[in-house]
Amino acid sequence: MGARSSFKLEFLKKWALGLKICSSLAKDMSFLERKKAIKLSADVAMASARDGTTCWSRALIANASKQDDKKIIVRTMLGSEFKKITKSSSSGSFKPEKRVRSKKILRRSCAITRIRKTATKRVLACSIAKRLVKKRTQVLKGIVPGGESMDEVSLLEETLDYILSLQAQVDVMRGFANTQVLSNPK
Amino acid sequence: MNRALPETLHYLEYITGNVMGAPLKLQQQQQSQHSYLNETQFNVFSLPPQATQVQQLQDLINNDSEVRELVNQSMKSDPGLENGWPDFGKYPIPRTGFATTSSLEMDYSISRTCTSPPTVVVAERDSVLTDKMASTIGRERFRKRKADKAQNPKVVVAEDTRDKRIKGDAEEVESEVTEQNNNRETSADKSKENSMVSEVQKPDYIHVRARRGQATDSHSLAERVRREKISERMKYLQDLVPGCNKITGKAGMLDEIINYVQSLQRQVEFLSMKLAALNPRIELNMDNFFAKEMFPAFMGSFPTVGNSSEMGNSAFLQFNPMQQVVTCGLDMAINPPDMALRRTTSTSITITLQQVQPSSHWETDLQSLYNSEFLQGRSAAFPSQPFTGALEANNLKMEM
Repeated sequence: MGARSSFKLEFLKKWALGLKICSSLAKDMSFLERKKAIKLSADVAMASARDGTTCWSRALIANASKQDDKKIIVRTMLGSEFKKITKSSSSGSFKPEKRVRSKKILRRSCAITRIRKTATKRVLACSIAKRLVKKRTQVLKGIVPGGESMDEVSLLEETLDYILSLQAQVDVMRGFANTQVLSNPK
Repeated sequence: MNRALPETLHYLEYITGNVMGAPLKLQQQQQSQHSYLNETQFNVFSLPPQATQVQQLQDLINNDSEVRELVNQSMKSDPGLENGWPDFGKYPIPRTGFATTSSLEMDYSISRTCTSPPTVVVAERDSVLTDKMASTIGRERFRKRKADKAQNPKVVVAEDTRDKRIKGDAEEVESEVTEQNNNRETSADKSKENSMVSEVQKPDYIHVRARRGQATDSHSLAERVRREKISERMKYLQDLVPGCNKITGKAGMLDEIINYVQSLQRQVEFLSMKLAALNPRIELNMDNFFAKEMFPAFMGSFPTVGNSSEMGNSAFLQFNPMQQVVTCGLDMAINPPDMALRRTTSTSITITLQQVQPSSHWETDLQSLYNSEFLQGRSAAFPSQPFTGALEANNLKMEM
C-alpha cells in the first residue's frame, strides 16, 4: 500500500497547489465556479500524479487545456511538465477510426445477412454477445479519457489504472470533506 | 505491473502445461518472461513466418500420409513393412520436439518420410487423424477468420473423403480409431493437453503452444494470445471492481466496469460540490487538516512517532518523522475513512492533546513548516524540498 499512499500524497499536494492558484486568480467565485475549479484541480492533480506515464492522464490534461481559462490553471499547476505531457499526447489516430467504423458497418451487415441464413441458436447467441461487447467497449471508450484511440487490450489496462486513480482521488476528497465538516460544525 | 508478471507466468505455464518436462519448461518461462517484458503487438505478429512454414510442412506431411493410407487400405497393411516405417514414427516427435529442433531438422524428417515405404502405424495415423479432425472441429467451434478457411480447403476435402472411406470399411482397427477420435473430439476443447507447435527459439518471440484440438494457424495463435491478454486484464478488473465475483463473461464484466467508473466520476463531482458548498473560499486548510484530525488521531495509535519526537528537534530528524507523520496521517484519514473513528477522534481531541503536550513544540513547528511550504508553493514548481529526498524515493507507480 506504500505506492497507493504516496500517490495520494502526491495528489493532495498538487491539488492544494491547484486550489491556491484558482483562489489567487479569482477572489470571489460563485458556487458553480468554485465547484468547477475544485473539480478541475482535482482531475489535473490526479492526472499529473501519474506523471504522464499513462494515456488517460495525458488525454485528461490535453482535454483540460483546450479551454483557455482552464489552460492557464493547468499550465501553472504543471509547470515544466506541461509541455512534455502535451507533446507526448499526439492525436494521430483519428482518421483510421473513421475508416474502421465504416468497414465495421459493412462487415456487420454482411455478417447479419449471412447469419440469418444459417441461423442456429448458438451462432445467434454468439453474434448477440459480440455485439453487446462491442457496444459496451464503445461506451467505455467514451468514459475513460482518451479512450477513443486505444485498442481493447490497452483500453482495459488504462481502465484499470484509471479506476485505481479515481478510487484514490475519491478517498482523498472524501477525507478532506469529512475533516472540513468536522472542523466547522456550523 | 510488478505483481502481474509472476501471475502471467503462472498462467502461461498453466496453459503450456508440462508436456515436455522440466528443462523446456524453464526455457519457456524465461522466454515468456522475456516476451512479457518486451511485450508489444509486434512481437505477436512476428510469429507468422515460422508458423506458416510449419503449417505448410504439416499439410504436406498430412497430404502424403492420406494418399498413402488410401493406397494402404486396398493393400491391407503388411506387418513386415511396419518396420520400414520407423521414420514416420519420427513424425510426431518433431512435432513434440519443436522447441528443440530447428526447421532444418524438420525438413530432414520430412524427406525421410517421403522416401520410406507406405505403411501405416496405427498410433501415428491416429494422432494425425485426431489433429486433423479436431482441428476442423476447432475451426467450427471457434469463430474462425477467413484466412483459416482459405488456407485449408483441400485438406478438409481430402479428409472428408477419407473419413467416409474409413467409416465405409468398418475395419475393427479403424473403427476403434474413429471412436477414439470421436471421444477425443468431444474432449478436445476441454482437455488442456498440448500438441506441440512451438516455434524456433528466438528471444523476442512470444512462445505460444497450441492447445489440443485447436488450429495451429498463425492468425489463431496471435488471436489466442490477444484473447488471453484480455482475459487476464479482465481478471484484474474483476478483483478491483466490487461485486464482480459472480459475473463471468466479457459483456457483464464490461457493464459492471462502466457502472463503477461512472459512479466514481459522479462521486468526484458530488464531493467537489460538497467542498464548494462547505467553504466560502477555496482553500486547503492544512492547519485544520492536520492539527485537529491527524495529529491526535495518529499520535494515539502510532507510538513510533512519539519515540522519534523524543530524539530531538533537529531539522533533519524533523523531516523523517514528518514523512511518517504525513503518510501515517493520510493513511489514517484516507484509508478507510470510518465515520465512527472520526467521531471518536474528534471527541478525544482534548484528551490526546494533553497527552501530546511534551511534543507540542514539535507539532507547532511542523504546522508552521507546512504553512510556509504552501505559501511558497504558489509561484514556483511545487517545492517540498524537505520532502523530495524522503518521499520521492517512494515508488509513485501504483501497485497492481
